[in-house]
Amino acid sequence: MAAQTVEKGADMALIERLQLEVERAVQRSLKGIELLGAPPPTVGQTPKTVLHRRGTLSLYHYHATADEIYRIPILFVMAPTNKAYIVDLAPGQSLIEFLLGRGYDVYLMDWSAPSDEERHLKIDDYVLDFIPDCLRRVQKDSGETDVTLVGYCAGGMLSAMYQSLHPGGPVKNLVCLTTPVDFKKMELFQSMSNRRHFDVDKLVDSVGVVPASMVAAGFDALRPASRVAGQVRLWDNLWNDQFVKGFRMMERWGNETLPLPGGYFRQTVKELLWNNAFYEGTLRIGGRLVDLAKIKVPLLHIVAQHDHIVPSACSKPLVERVGSRDKEEVTLPGGHVSIAAGANAVKRMWPKLDAWLETRST
Amino acid sequence: MSTSFIPDPLQMWRDAVTKLESNVNSLVTGSMESQEVVRSLHQFRTVSLGMEQAFEKAIGSYLSKVNLPSRKDIADLAATLQRIEDKLDRLLPAPPPAALAPRPPRTRRPTASAATAPQSRPADAAPVKPRRGAKRSGG
Repeated sequence: MAAQTVEKGADMALIERLQLEVERAVQRSLKGIELLGAPPPTVGQTPKTVLHRRGTLSLYHYHATADEIYRIPILFVMAPTNKAYIVDLAPGQSLIEFLLGRGYDVYLMDWSAPSDEERHLKIDDYVLDFIPDCLRRVQKDSGETDVTLVGYCAGGMLSAMYQSLHPGGPVKNLVCLTTPVDFKKMELFQSMSNRRHFDVDKLVDSVGVVPASMVAAGFDALRPASRVAGQVRLWDNLWNDQFVKGFRMMERWGNETLPLPGGYFRQTVKELLWNNAFYEGTLRIGGRLVDLAKIKVPLLHIVAQHDHIVPSACSKPLVERVGSRDKEEVTLPGGHVSIAAGANAVKRMWPKLDAWLETRST
Repeated sequence: MSTSFIPDPLQMWRDAVTKLESNVNSLVTGSMESQEVVRSLHQFRTVSLGMEQAFEKAIGSYLSKVNLPSRKDIADLAATLQRIEDKLDRLLPAPPPAALAPRPPRTRRPTASAATAPQSRPADAAPVKPRRGAKRSGG
């Protein structure tokens, strides 16, 4: 009797599964056709004002949504390789929207493709010109002297460099997300940029601005099969609107990787990858030595456990080396991007960031 | 859904895709440790970049002959417009912030639990009341 019941249950399960798969196959066909003509997904919808635009740089101020906001405004610094809408993908999936709802005043430095005239921009220009310029504008717009600086990936690196050179400046708190410091630990980038085979001067001198396709290829080379596997998973989940929406937004972000000014790229390869100067303490920006020990402001560094771009060994030295008494490193499950956007970020990183900021933003 | 003793072929296929992806990633990234592979990749990149530039040059000279603007010409025009916009941005007086919209007061305090124990604050504290009708014009 028991054996018969088990057998009947198994039959039912098989029938249910077949029905489900047939339904999904039909949905895949219908939605696949819809997808072919679909416009790119809308991103970055949180209302904002463009405070300033200069060449590759745009400074946004997001409109407050709380009745009462914290005194200290936040200035986000995005990595120059990518668009900043990764932190403002869609309503409900936006770190910016979350922070506004939690009562913060949020500004953001976004980048667009540099023009040929901007090919000479170097790390120095980002650290000694763009960031301080935006800080001044945030101070003026908000009427506050203190600012919290939040940098993502290379944006965190630029923010840390800025702070080490301006320890008495307006930055009250520093938050870095997956920020690289020890470039010797980026093994694949090291291998790809090996100075015996890679003539960075020849490349930069011939292209001026390093094309986005080349920057994206560098990231893709870290996980070469993932793009194809992603398309297979997209087909498998075509019946699932939520999956498709999320996938397409992330895909758009990946496809909109930005070109890099040749000067920035050259300096990154020579100073950071070849000489590991940021980690070794020999990096000079504007002729001044970048010393992480000079950072004394409260620091939070959030790193991703499964980060394939900035492995934790590469980002760990930041907290070890800064001179802040109030400093914390948090390792969260997730990858380089999923730590900032997606369900994982909503559950883990965003609340942690809010919890850390709220006591330091008054 | 009831559990079945018959393996799910689609789930097996999904697992296989994940495994294949992982294996290919490991194989290719492993091969990047070989300097021969890296050198070949750079040689390929150099050649393809050279061909791309030669092709662009040929197209550029053709467009010039038929009096049509190239992508670079359009980009240069866009850059010029951008420079004018940037200059206007610097020359025009910025409207005082208060004229754009009333801003909420900067008096918010952390929740009591956060103020006493910042590291152990529960992440899901009550959200703030949304402000109705944010009035700033946006971009």
